[in-house]
Amino acid sequence: MAAEAYVQMKDRRWWREVSWRYLVAVAAVVYAAFPIVYILSASLSPRGTLTGSNELFADITTAQYEALFQTHFPQWIVNTLVIGGVTAIATVLMASAAAYAFSRFRFAGRNGGLTFLLLVQMFPQILAFVAIFLLLLSLRDVIPILGLNSQLGLICVYLGGALGANTFLMFGFFNSIPKELDEAAKIDGAGHARIFFTIILRLVAPVLAVVALLSFVGTFSDYIIAGIVLQDQDKLTIAVGLYQFISGQFDARWGIFAAGAVISALPVLLLFLFLQRYIVGGLTAGSVKG
Amino acid sequence: MRRSIVITAAVGLTMALAACGGGTGSGEEETTAGAEETTEDGGSAGTLTIWADEFRAAALTDIVAQFEEDKGVTVEIVEKNFDDIKDEFIAQAPTGEGPDIIVGAHDWSGELVTNGLVSPVELGDAAADFSEVAVNAFTYEGSVYGVPYGIENIALVRNNALASDTPATFDELIAQGQATGAEYPVLIQMGEEGDAFHMYPLQTSFGAPVFATDDTGSYIPELALGGDAGTAFADYLASIGQAGSGVLDTAITADIAREAFANGESPYILTGPWNIAPFTEAGIDVTVLPIPSAGGEPAAPFVGVQGFYVNSYSENAILANEFLINYAATEDVQVAMYETGGRIPALTSAAEAVSDDPIAAGFVAAGEIGVPMPSLPQMNSVWAFWGVTEANLVSGVATDPAAAWATMVDNIQGAIDAA
Amino acid sequence: MGPFFLVKLSVLALINAFGLFVIYSAWQVSHWGILGSMVAILIVANWVYFSKRMIAAKYLFPGLVFLLVYQLFTMGYTAYISFTNYGTGHNATREDAIAANLAQNENRVPDSPSYPLTVVTGADGELGFAIIDGDDGVLVGTEEQTFEAAPDATVTDGDVTEVPGYSVLTFGEVLEQQNEITSLRVGFDDVDEGSIRTQDGSTGYLYRSVLTYDEATGAITNTDTGVVYSDNGEGSFEAEDGSTLVVGWRVAVGFDNFTKMFTDSRLSGPFLSVLVWTFVFAFLSVATTFFLGLFFAIVFNHPAVRGRKIIRSLLILPYAFPGFLSGLVWAGLLNRRFGFINQVLLGGAEIPWLTDPWLAKLSVIGANLWLGFPYMFLITTGALQAISSEVYEAAKIDGARAGRVFRSITLPLLMISVAPLLIASFAFNFNNFNLIYFVTEGGPNFPGSPIAVGATDILISMVYSVAIESGTQQYGLASAMSILIFVMVGLISWLGFRQTRKLEEVI
Repeated sequence: MAAEAYVQMKDRRWWREVSWRYLVAVAAVVYAAFPIVYILSASLSPRGTLTGSNELFADITTAQYEALFQTHFPQWIVNTLVIGGVTAIATVLMASAAAYAFSRFRFAGRNGGLTFLLLVQMFPQILAFVAIFLLLLSLRDVIPILGLNSQLGLICVYLGGALGANTFLMFGFFNSIPKELDEAAKIDGAGHARIFFTIILRLVAPVLAVVALLSFVGTFSDYIIAGIVLQDQDKLTIAVGLYQFISGQFDARWGIFAAGAVISALPVLLLFLFLQRYIVGGLTAGSVKG
Repeated sequence: MRRSIVITAAVGLTMALAACGGGTGSGEEETTAGAEETTEDGGSAGTLTIWADEFRAAALTDIVAQFEEDKGVTVEIVEKNFDDIKDEFIAQAPTGEGPDIIVGAHDWSGELVTNGLVSPVELGDAAADFSEVAVNAFTYEGSVYGVPYGIENIALVRNNALASDTPATFDELIAQGQATGAEYPVLIQMGEEGDAFHMYPLQTSFGAPVFATDDTGSYIPELALGGDAGTAFADYLASIGQAGSGVLDTAITADIAREAFANGESPYILTGPWNIAPFTEAGIDVTVLPIPSAGGEPAAPFVGVQGFYVNSYSENAILANEFLINYAATEDVQVAMYETGGRIPALTSAAEAVSDDPIAAGFVAAGEIGVPMPSLPQMNSVWAFWGVTEANLVSGVATDPAAAWATMVDNIQGAIDAA
Repeated sequence: MGPFFLVKLSVLALINAFGLFVIYSAWQVSHWGILGSMVAILIVANWVYFSKRMIAAKYLFPGLVFLLVYQLFTMGYTAYISFTNYGTGHNATREDAIAANLAQNENRVPDSPSYPLTVVTGADGELGFAIIDGDDGVLVGTEEQTFEAAPDATVTDGDVTEVPGYSVLTFGEVLEQQNEITSLRVGFDDVDEGSIRTQDGSTGYLYRSVLTYDEATGAITNTDTGVVYSDNGEGSFEAEDGSTLVVGWRVAVGFDNFTKMFTDSRLSGPFLSVLVWTFVFAFLSVATTFFLGLFFAIVFNHPAVRGRKIIRSLLILPYAFPGFLSGLVWAGLLNRRFGFINQVLLGGAEIPWLTDPWLAKLSVIGANLWLGFPYMFLITTGALQAISSEVYEAAKIDGARAGRVFRSITLPLLMISVAPLLIASFAFNFNNFNLIYFVTEGGPNFPGSPIAVGATDILISMVYSVAIESGTQQYGLASAMSILIFVMVGLISWLGFRQTRKLEEVI
């Protein structure tokens, strides 16, 4: 099924096998994009509502965006990028190291270990917030920088979930890298650290990109744990900050919220565009027996 | 050999870190002590921490600067989302990490007192300077727990372009509204989960308050919203709901109601001072009026009072009380808070100072027959059932209003007993 | 002594330094738990990294430390909370509760005057108050010494500025001993008259305390009524008639929280239907998102489709918005009267998407489909590309039709790689609180239900609305419920994983 064959194929066959795919594409894109177009319209509307702003792009004003940048929003963007970025990088490092161990070494508890990691992740964190809060409160007394109301503290909480599904995802991928590569390097005198950092990590770059993206998106959309840990206005993440706009009992500011939502989607989108060539083909390929 | 290198390096670094840590710490203390001769031995005695929402934080800056100057202390205002203040305070205060003062609503007092988190505040002679309803609202089991600063209640807001004189009963109001040909005769926000707060004036006009009161006018944890009066209200809600005349609709959420009124689609809306700014910005000429009665008795809205609480774990109780009694409870501050938040000052003199504003005067007039929102902890068990039942009555899901209302009363009682 | 060794050496040195610093700080503030954990972590770290063996541990250690501290510990702590009555009214320690009850029941004597007050210290440095009593002039006293007249005291502008035998405290000095001053009570000769206390250091009021705590019996007595409130073992002071003092404290309550779900009829009534819906919701969420994502993946995986990159980027859009935000947008779009779907797409039909029990269920699944298909689209696209094209060629030669190729080749091969992710997705949706909370808030509520639980509530949102949102926070109950939910979803997932292992072995 080489691509060239299709390029040269006859019109009739193109109509039968390919044309409808474009129709599906149009439908799919409309489906995926219309709520977002709706938010975009609401964010440009002078009316401050999310429900019932049904005449799309009736009046256009940038007032909501201007108001948005009067708040702490620019700071929130920076915070989110820093927290999300650091978490993503650290997650990739720790999860890949763990996956390397599971994939290349034999040790006691190896078989149960992976399942255990996955199962631990299933604890509903939304109800564990009391424990997280109390833990960080104690930590604050000893090491303020890891405690409550610290972004580093929040990153550490996120890193508690760095293994789990990520290791699982990577594990399959690592397995698909032939062991002969390691053996050859070992014969050349390379230690396990050199093999890991200079050979394996390069080969699994796609899955690293995927895990980084998943981790970033996860951090980015979390408002529950971030809302518990971060308290000062200038330390919040986008999700927590935006949520504040609409959680007020009497003064829900939907317009400004919509504007913030539109802008907040950009970093993830850009990251995806940037990582796409790794991601397509990188996500689950490794789980197939290699 | 290798190990000893690491250990030496580690110890060295630790010393350095510890030295840095200790060094900066003592350095800060020295500067604080130097700045204020009165508090030689450390920063905490002279530092007051206040949690306030965005608007209150802004309104407090002037008086805080004054206080800092007069007393030679530092005051830290931490800006918080209003709805987070209570929960974070409940979580943090017992650990000794909470602020000295929080800005909050009076109906938090039951919960805060039950958790032992707030100290009674002695207003002393100043008590007489506050409006009675404000002080009563902050009184729980005989003690006053907060220094009130603002009062708010909903009222009937009229679009003067669509209607000019307002009838005395709610039915006549609906008829008049329908006669104007506007999209909605009157707007009351609710949403699918209901909104018992905005419905309450209608309910009280049928003589069905949520809790009974004792002879001093304080609420007692005894439900009073059932009985014939409650049933009459339930029937009325159903009759003006979607299956009836269609005046009320659960699809009308807060922002839809506000938008519709701002667009001139209704002559009337039941709402509070927080919504006046969007209306005037939209160019609507409004008058604020008392709410007409639907059931014959006065339509009393809930009155909410906002004020300052003192953390019972505070290490700075004297400073906190000094600030509240002698600084926050002054006319200038309360007028400033009114200007940023629209709430009527709780201090009588400050309320008079703003009374030449017809909007403020309108809300005051509407609130005169109002009743404080109960601060009983039992109230927490009421809201969810109450709102949903009203939503079901309005949407027509509850086909037998009397039965639905009676079930609701049973369920609330069950929740109170279980709590 | 390669470069890796040097890096390792310096990183370890840093970690050790940080660890020792933490131990030192923990020592200073007497946080023994943190100190002990840090010591353990340091010892294990050095042991692991200096050992010639345990190579796997070197790679697992960093992740495991974070897992241990931030996940396993919080799970353990949650488990601990689940055995207590922690929540509204049982928020702190017994000492705090006693102090709070006493403070709340110390009332100002009705109609008593306010006294201008000055804080003073006596010759021995003990704190005292000097007050101006209208008739008697200046009175001065300490905790030990009841008020006595101080005729030689100086009064300036209505404040006592000098008292012989005592020194007057400046405001700054007052601030240094705020706790001592606010807890100071100075009495009169007549004990029943009450005592003077101050809250602001400049005005005194006459107070009478109604409650007294007896250290020996551990009970609180109301001196007015004579009622004795004794510790009832459940974290409250209870009188014989069953009434309790307002503030209680945290105590262990055994398995009460765990059995509540089944014994409290208010909870056990809706529990079963919520449980069933939770399974249905989680299953349908995975199934719908998976098949839509897979469908798109297959359609756009065709090499002749141009612009695949752009299509993929656009399809990923729903994934780029924070989940709670999308939930809110869908709630708005589905509003019965004003939502875009009814008003614009369906020409003003008033379909009760969020208020009819069945339509609401459909709506949350639909909203979740929109939110979740991009993820499935991504992973299935990846998985499809990993299936070698030779398999398809072989099938083609055998004359298999497209449908059969999908069922016999594509799907099974795909399942091997994505099944574990589907199980993880099932577990995620089992606890997909955000979606339910923001789209329907669990509503429409069961009519007449004794707790605020509705047709679209899943277990986690039910627990949230019962234990957290209902106003009286019951952290103990919430924790117990989260443990139960965890055990349930963990067990199912574990069985699922075992099945996929078998599947893998078969193929």
